[in-house]
Amino acid sequence: METYLQITSVWGTYLAIAVFVLGIAWRVYEWSTTPKSPVPLGLFPKPKTGAGRFGKMLKDTFLAPHSARIEPRMWLFAMMFHVAALAAFVGHLRIIQEYPLLPQWLGEDGMNTFAAWAGGIAGTLMMIAVLYWIGRRTFGPFKNLSVPEDFLLLALLLGVIIMGNHMRFFGHVHAETYREWFQSLLAFRPMLPDEIVHSNVGWSLGTHMLFVDLLLIYFPFSKLVHTIGSFSANLVRSE
Amino acid sequence: MSDETKVDLELDLKGLLCPLPMVKVSQNITNVPVGGVIRAVATDPGAMADIPAWAKSTGNEVLKAEKEDGEFVFLVKRVK
Amino acid sequence: METQQLTTLAGVIDKKMNRQLKQYIDICARCAICKDACHQYVGTGDFKYLPARRAELIRQIYKKYFDKAGRFVPALYEARDPDENLLEELYESTYACTACRRCMYFCPFSIDTAWILSVAKAMLIAAGMGNEMLSQLADAAIMKGDQPELFRDVLVSGFKDIEAEVREITGDPSAEIPVDKEGADILYVGLAGAHSIRPAAVIFHEAGASWTLSLFESANYGFFLGDAEKARKIADRYMDEALRLGVKEVVITECGHAYRVAKIFHEAWSGKKHPFRVRHILEVIDEYITDGRITVDPGSVKGAITYHDPCQIGRNGGLFEEPRRIVRALAADFRDLTPNREQQWCCGGGGGIVAMSEFDEDRIKSGAKKVEQIRATGATIIAAPCENCRLQLEQLRDHHELDLHITPIMDLVVEAMPLAGTKAAQA
Repeated sequence: METYLQITSVWGTYLAIAVFVLGIAWRVYEWSTTPKSPVPLGLFPKPKTGAGRFGKMLKDTFLAPHSARIEPRMWLFAMMFHVAALAAFVGHLRIIQEYPLLPQWLGEDGMNTFAAWAGGIAGTLMMIAVLYWIGRRTFGPFKNLSVPEDFLLLALLLGVIIMGNHMRFFGHVHAETYREWFQSLLAFRPMLPDEIVHSNVGWSLGTHMLFVDLLLIYFPFSKLVHTIGSFSANLVRSE
Repeated sequence: MSDETKVDLELDLKGLLCPLPMVKVSQNITNVPVGGVIRAVATDPGAMADIPAWAKSTGNEVLKAEKEDGEFVFLVKRVK
Repeated sequence: METQQLTTLAGVIDKKMNRQLKQYIDICARCAICKDACHQYVGTGDFKYLPARRAELIRQIYKKYFDKAGRFVPALYEARDPDENLLEELYESTYACTACRRCMYFCPFSIDTAWILSVAKAMLIAAGMGNEMLSQLADAAIMKGDQPELFRDVLVSGFKDIEAEVREITGDPSAEIPVDKEGADILYVGLAGAHSIRPAAVIFHEAGASWTLSLFESANYGFFLGDAEKARKIADRYMDEALRLGVKEVVITECGHAYRVAKIFHEAWSGKKHPFRVRHILEVIDEYITDGRITVDPGSVKGAITYHDPCQIGRNGGLFEEPRRIVRALAADFRDLTPNREQQWCCGGGGGIVAMSEFDEDRIKSGAKKVEQIRATGATIIAAPCENCRLQLEQLRDHHELDLHITPIMDLVVEAMPLAGTKAAQA
């Protein structure tokens, strides 16, 4: 168990973060050094001011109102996934630094209960959305349009989510213990708390991190770069 | 060139707006043999420039392009 | 196909590469939300017409040749060569596309499929698979521009015939269709043929406008073909004329793509700013009515009338209200289509598809949504300021046996004007 965690949750994590950061930097460099088309590609009507354009870009990117109109169900699941993923990300920040105020109001137990609920709901919603996406790609035009990349990414996501949910629903280890582990990584003095290694979440953390590592490594080279590219693409919409 | 030229295909392009008369002549040129002639009648005056321009750029020959009683009559010979 | 040729064809993507294109290729999630945005996919159910699929073919080549991950694990992306199989599908999905950009409107990332397909067209042309009819039409137009002396007399004599009609319609024997008039305010660029010139000439005359008619037509088959060089040359014909005559503005007739080419593309292609403005004839007519330079009878249009936004004028050109204001000024019973404006369905006739007979069957099928929309209004007249739209709408009407009169807006305006002439505006 300790070796497995050493691979996925220490050295694998370092590698994944390095590849992710360098990969995204390379991707952004590639985009920004490719000359723009001289032809404006915007759609009408367009906002008249720069601020208006920027606001519309944010709205289009975060809310995708047009997509909601044409395929509400897909929009709902996509929104569910992305909001839940954001919530999960925000929740995960606790393993770097505990939030101010909230734990004081709720108390330690209250905070753990809150995190259990919030994380549980986010994890469940993400899982439902990913299962919906997998199901959607199994028939008709969606299936015909899909390539192995689509299934690989969904499989990685599903792995991350299921293992995360296992820790959430079946584990008794709380954020402060994970924080010890993650802080040690950040300090480049990696250690694995015994409480994790010798608990029922040892292997699920290991596997969660295995999928996270793979996802992060593949991220900059996959269609997931839409997370950053959609901002500029949506800005082009009103140029 | 007299009107007695042997015509292989008659095209009635009356009422069609440009560039359709030219499109129809082009689509039908392969329906006559090399050396064959299409006689086309159009009502859109734009055809008077379009059909000769098409013939010139595709290497075909316009034997006649004339206005007759408010209609435009063309004799187009397939060259290749 | 030989490796060398495949590499050359794939290289077209690299040559045409720009930031937008790269991002579109990189970020598409293949979510297929665009599926129901496309009139061709909805009308035919044919997978090759699904917008993301059209773009996917270019992405597959890009992945194989230019993308690090794609070269490393091609199978992950179904990366492949631009071989005969691929090019055959690409030909159909690309030249059938009307470039209405309705898919872009609904895409969560605003991916411009038509922009990706502009690369597909360049690749098809490089493979000798550019559409033959569009190519012939483009070459003929360039021919007229290269040797205007060969066509000038016949064109001007055609204009004189129209001028005679304009005199009868307006009842003013001094009404003119000026050509080559230096210092005129407006250079009006029509289409080859009288129908686009006659009503505009009447309106300019009645408004007392200082105008001159271009020798050339604004239609641009080089644009449809996807050959930017030819497209620029075709537009240069009248843009150079405008420069030479020193006009204040170029006014494009009721044609969709011609307006977009003149207004949005030409400056980018030529790399020079126009010293004149470019407007659509409907913007000018709207201004004339608003300013009282022409008067129209508000009850002139009898019956229910609707308006179709041509994609290149509406969503891609930015004119939504001008045409509607004009139609409302002429008609008591105006009923808009649903959806309308930027969400308007493409009629299925754009992108030069009406000139490509191989798509006739799918083109008629792709008009299903438009027919549904028109039926829902109960209108018996539809105004459409684009020649391709009108051609398509006429064929849809015949196919579906609709009771529908299809008309340019200019004709309605002329009919609604109190004119002293004896001849009806409609020949």
